[in-house]
Amino acid sequence: MTLRLIFRRILFLLLVIWSASTIVFFIPRMSDTNPIRERFAELARTGGFSPADLEKIIASYTEQFGLDAPLMSQYWDYLGNIATLDFGVSLNKYPTTVLQVITQAIPWTLTLLLVTTILSFIIGNLLGALSAWPRAPRWVRTVATPFVLLTGVPPVIMGVLLLFFIGFRLKLLPLGGAYSIGIVPDWSSVSFWLDLLKHQVLPALSLILGSVGGWVLSMRGMGVTIQGEDYVNFAEHKGLTGGRIFRDYYLRNTLLPQVTGLALALGTVVTSAIVVEGLFGLPGIGTALNNAIRANDFPVIYGIVLFITAAVATLMVAMEFVYPLLDPRIREQ
Amino acid sequence: MVDNNSNPSRMYWLHRRGLLKGTAAAVLLAGGLPQWVMAQDAAAEIAPATPLAELPREAQLILGWSMSSPIGVTNPWAVPGYTHQEGNAFMWEPLMYFSIFKDEYLPWLAESMEYTTDDFTSLQIKINPAAKWSDGVQVTSKDVVFTFMGQLNNEKLPYHAAFVQFMDSATAVDDLTVDVKFKIPAPRFKFEVLCLKFDTGIPIVPAHALEGAEDVNAVAGGVEMPHSGPYDLVAWNATQKIFNLREDWWAVAAGVATMPDVKRVVIVNLGGQVGQNMDTVAQRLVNNEMDSALDMRSSVIGNILAQNDKITTHTGNASPYGYLDWWPNSLWMNTQAAPYDDVRVRKAMALSINRDLIDEILYEGAKISTIYPFPLYPGLQAFVDSDAVKAVEAAQNPRNYDTDASAALMTEAGFAMNGDGLWEKDGATVNATIHGFEGIHSDIVPILVEMLLATGFDASINFGTDAYQNMADGAPGLYMFGHGASLKDPYAALELFHGRFSEAIGTSAGNNRFSRYKNPEYDALLDAMAPLASDDPVFLENAAKALEVYWRDQIDIPIIQWLHRIAYNQTYWTNWPTAENPALGTNGAFWAHTGLPVVIALKAAG
Repeated sequence: MTLRLIFRRILFLLLVIWSASTIVFFIPRMSDTNPIRERFAELARTGGFSPADLEKIIASYTEQFGLDAPLMSQYWDYLGNIATLDFGVSLNKYPTTVLQVITQAIPWTLTLLLVTTILSFIIGNLLGALSAWPRAPRWVRTVATPFVLLTGVPPVIMGVLLLFFIGFRLKLLPLGGAYSIGIVPDWSSVSFWLDLLKHQVLPALSLILGSVGGWVLSMRGMGVTIQGEDYVNFAEHKGLTGGRIFRDYYLRNTLLPQVTGLALALGTVVTSAIVVEGLFGLPGIGTALNNAIRANDFPVIYGIVLFITAAVATLMVAMEFVYPLLDPRIREQ
Repeated sequence: MVDNNSNPSRMYWLHRRGLLKGTAAAVLLAGGLPQWVMAQDAAAEIAPATPLAELPREAQLILGWSMSSPIGVTNPWAVPGYTHQEGNAFMWEPLMYFSIFKDEYLPWLAESMEYTTDDFTSLQIKINPAAKWSDGVQVTSKDVVFTFMGQLNNEKLPYHAAFVQFMDSATAVDDLTVDVKFKIPAPRFKFEVLCLKFDTGIPIVPAHALEGAEDVNAVAGGVEMPHSGPYDLVAWNATQKIFNLREDWWAVAAGVATMPDVKRVVIVNLGGQVGQNMDTVAQRLVNNEMDSALDMRSSVIGNILAQNDKITTHTGNASPYGYLDWWPNSLWMNTQAAPYDDVRVRKAMALSINRDLIDEILYEGAKISTIYPFPLYPGLQAFVDSDAVKAVEAAQNPRNYDTDASAALMTEAGFAMNGDGLWEKDGATVNATIHGFEGIHSDIVPILVEMLLATGFDASINFGTDAYQNMADGAPGLYMFGHGASLKDPYAALELFHGRFSEAIGTSAGNNRFSRYKNPEYDALLDAMAPLASDDPVFLENAAKALEVYWRDQIDIPIIQWLHRIAYNQTYWTNWPTAENPALGTNGAFWAHTGLPVVIALKAAG
């Protein structure tokens, strides 16, 4: 892998981020909705603002947030600001900054996403590969079948089912929230971590259960095609152990397309997490984005979408750097 | 086939073992992320310096709400950002509360508050001498004057316009007495502005905490700001907000209240927006995780009651499971824009609404549909029961459901039925798109759409985020929205249609001013009512006449009284305000300004 290639990939990454940031800037602006008005209208509905005040206040804050400036002027300011990671101030949570909103929310989402994605990838691929591996015990296929049956069940439906049966009926796990009600987070306490873990099980399962089957199916398909390959036969006749053949000749040659699939799946996982977080009342990035969209909180929408885009694009580029590790032919090229 | 062990490319800067190690590290890192990032951003949450004392569940009140205000904002003058709806109402107190179901004032920081002239141009306030802020400083007339003058001079504050319109001066006569002079008669100022009820009125703020601030609207408040209410904010993050009882609350020694049983209030952030994820909220109530939560739609509340016999509502286990809120909903429309500028079209749409059917479908027969733009609380019930209003009602028959009469009016207005069964004139159908809010209108609006479609109006639903903007802009269609106005007498609701609030097409109409109605005859009636007390015979006579104009001109189409169907879980707490046991007489919404009287009246079930 040459420096030139790395440079080209990073340039491409920046292009993706710029395109995404431009799209997220203009699309909300195509709506006639005035976010300041919406925010104060909500306050007025509940807080007794009189109409005369409302209009005056809206005008004052529209100016303060620069929403009365020409569109292109807003756009250049916006690009300049995001280059310095200054996403501005939330309209809905003023004076909280967008960066604060993101940093408060992102740990919850990253924890959930990273763990569930990696777990479903590992479990699904192992089960899939073993299902196609002739020497694998029969029980592997028995274990893999339910996952295959659950393939395609949207995480939100899975979440509702898990909530109803495991949380509500059986009362085995909590119905929602990031941790138990009334507990103040104490990150040095083991009992707090256990409590936290307990609350993450159902959201994680709703993301994992529906996605493992997909990995199982695709991996199994590839495993079957490899079975008759010369290099596998050669390895067997060479007298290598089953474990060695499975790991170095079988699994490794089926992994490359799966890694590509993992990169592509990340975008889907993010959108699933948005719904799942809402369902389980987790204070993650999905909940923050959902709230921001409903409140027309432009700066927060920009910040979060840009963050997600940058994260997914970076991961996809990173995956490209990983390919040579998995396939020496790419390395040779 | 390439053997890694002999290939020079093993020097590649990443190695597959590195990949495995990296993956493992990523998993571990993911597990540690919350701690790491939160440590970076500790200021973004409020956490107690020392661990909170553990309290049994029986001492804690757990309430569910969707919190969206910025963490740390507790100052009632922080604009934008402050809301009383997320527990801040437990920190701030008014001069008086108003007990809506007992129709009486509850003196609080003020011992008394009386008009001293017959024309309602002066008011004297006597402050309770025992009232204290949380830092031990006495609440005095200086605080009251500071609060009033702040509202008068600071245009960002919620009641600025009301103070500008009415108040001439506020003077501290002594430490405990304030004289207020009004520019014009202000018979409703005491009630509308100085008392807390539902979501209106002002709390008193501490002068010594705010008078030195360069910009009082920018003061967050946090945990430090002195307050007079009994609960101190002790923790607040994205998932919850915790308040602890302050045992030296002034009101106990003063005999205004007894020491609350509730030692800690936890407000759980349900996430999303108000009205979302209600199924999960219902399950958490049934499982006793929460003691109360935001109000439920009709389809949910019955299920909750069926699954936990400890849960009750304002009306017990009987329909309609709730109490009347102050926000009766109408179908509003822009009366300046065609075809809604034709009273015959407005009336024809009103005649298409079958209110009995609404009661039957949504409320199991309970009489919740309405013909009034105000809620029927005791004072207003007395008004509509008066002979004058009964006569007007008999003449106007505003509840009438008559599809033939509706068709006749549309024909008279020049419309003809087209092939799709819709009224049409000059190639255009009557746009009856109903703009509303999904979280609260998803039960009633589809029914209204069907009723309107069945009688030839081109009805559909818009629950988009532009719904409110469309109402303010006067866009074509109907607007499902309430009248947050009258509580004691009909003036505030009827005043919503005064011509001085009638904005021209092309300009934005303010909250509750969507009809843009203008009628000098109507304005004269309201102007005559304004300086009079609500029990004045002339006031009542003119109010009945104004109501007649409201019905005659079909300024909007009243649809339903607004219900708060709140689940009260009695597993841990009893004495929730209900129809049979009104407790302190305030409504049961813990998120309203009167949330504090609800909480302090609760009794431990054990």
